[in-house]
Amino acid sequence: MHHNKQIAIILPDMLQSIGLQTLLADYFSPVEITHFQTFESFSASENEHFDYYFTHADGFIQNADFFLPRRNKTMLLIHADEHNLAPNATNCLTLRASQETILEQLKRFLTTDACTTTTDTNKELSTRETDVLQLIVKGSTNKEIADRLNISLNTVLTHRKNITSKLGIKTVSGLTFYAIMHGLVSGEEIGI
Amino acid sequence: MPLVYANMPMSEVVEEHPSLIPVINRFGIRLGLGDSSVKTLCEAHGLDTDFLLVVINTFLNEEYFPEKKLQTFHTSQIIDYLTKTNRYYQRYQLPNIERHLGLFISQSTPGNSTLSLIGKFFSSFKEELTARIENDEHTWFPYCLSLSEKLEKTTTTETLHLHTEQRMEDPIEALLADLKNILIKHLSGDYNENLCYAVIFALCTLEKDIKQHNRIRYRILKPMVDAMEKLCI
Repeated sequence: MHHNKQIAIILPDMLQSIGLQTLLADYFSPVEITHFQTFESFSASENEHFDYYFTHADGFIQNADFFLPRRNKTMLLIHADEHNLAPNATNCLTLRASQETILEQLKRFLTTDACTTTTDTNKELSTRETDVLQLIVKGSTNKEIADRLNISLNTVLTHRKNITSKLGIKTVSGLTFYAIMHGLVSGEEIGI
Repeated sequence: MPLVYANMPMSEVVEEHPSLIPVINRFGIRLGLGDSSVKTLCEAHGLDTDFLLVVINTFLNEEYFPEKKLQTFHTSQIIDYLTKTNRYYQRYQLPNIERHLGLFISQSTPGNSTLSLIGKFFSSFKEELTARIENDEHTWFPYCLSLSEKLEKTTTTETLHLHTEQRMEDPIEALLADLKNILIKHLSGDYNENLCYAVIFALCTLEKDIKQHNRIRYRILKPMVDAMEKLCI
């Protein structure tokens, strides 16, 4: 139900990578982290679904074609200490800083961009979704719902997915509860 | 989370993780642990130390799931543990949630119809879980055991080839998650805060237990049974 942040760490230094993974998992869960020792192994994986990238400055420069368009989603590990770092450098992680500073930097990086994943601020069901919900709780199958509302099966599935993510409710019993509570169906209609 | 090892004093382990108390109780280990180590206690109770440790560690760490190790245990050991968890749900956890929920509903504003609906939702969850437990006890577990007995007579090798399938959504877990989410996200009207917390806390405790039960059920027992079925044909 939660959106796991997909994170790629592209660093040759194993200890650095493990340390970073631990911090991310401990303080910024839910995260799904994949570690690559080289950029080559990263590109070989052909995985395009990462939300964030961590790498070192050399890696960034050598593969600027890849990272430049993704610079808002890329964090660089740099050796400078926190004092001689430009204060507005939001995408830099200072390796020698204190844990508190590092966590602060990670927080700034991981939360500024996060709004893109939660653009769907409208948690109210649309009219169509309400129609679908009413049919689900009356026990209709997806096929029946599609026929009834004159929409394709895929559209029904999309509506169902959206209903679940908006309400945080997956099961038919749970949805029934929600529908009755909000007066979308009456208890008698479905025999409760 | 660090793992629990055989040489640790059980009292220290439990002090750190009180949620283990019902788990060790299932094995017949009761409080008043003194300074005995996990191993000593297991020996005193005639338990397989390795098995108890795997159960404890998988209970504490969702990420820790040594499939290879778990598969070395005997089918009957695994079924025995799952049976014990089932009994615990039936005898203690369901009645416990019910008690809290009953109080929560009766002590909140009587006019709050949402709450009585939540009560009904819980009843349907309880029915579902009870039905699964009954099916386990009367049908599925005896069937698994008969398969493993049959194989012991015919084959001596323990070369079961296990395939863990992509796990499907478990209906029990899904209902429980919904029940919790409904309380957290969709509660409305006047209600007793303290009792509501008690209900949610009890639901979370059951959820944690059932998740471990399901991991063992779907990732160990089910693949074992599938493999045994193939050998029996």
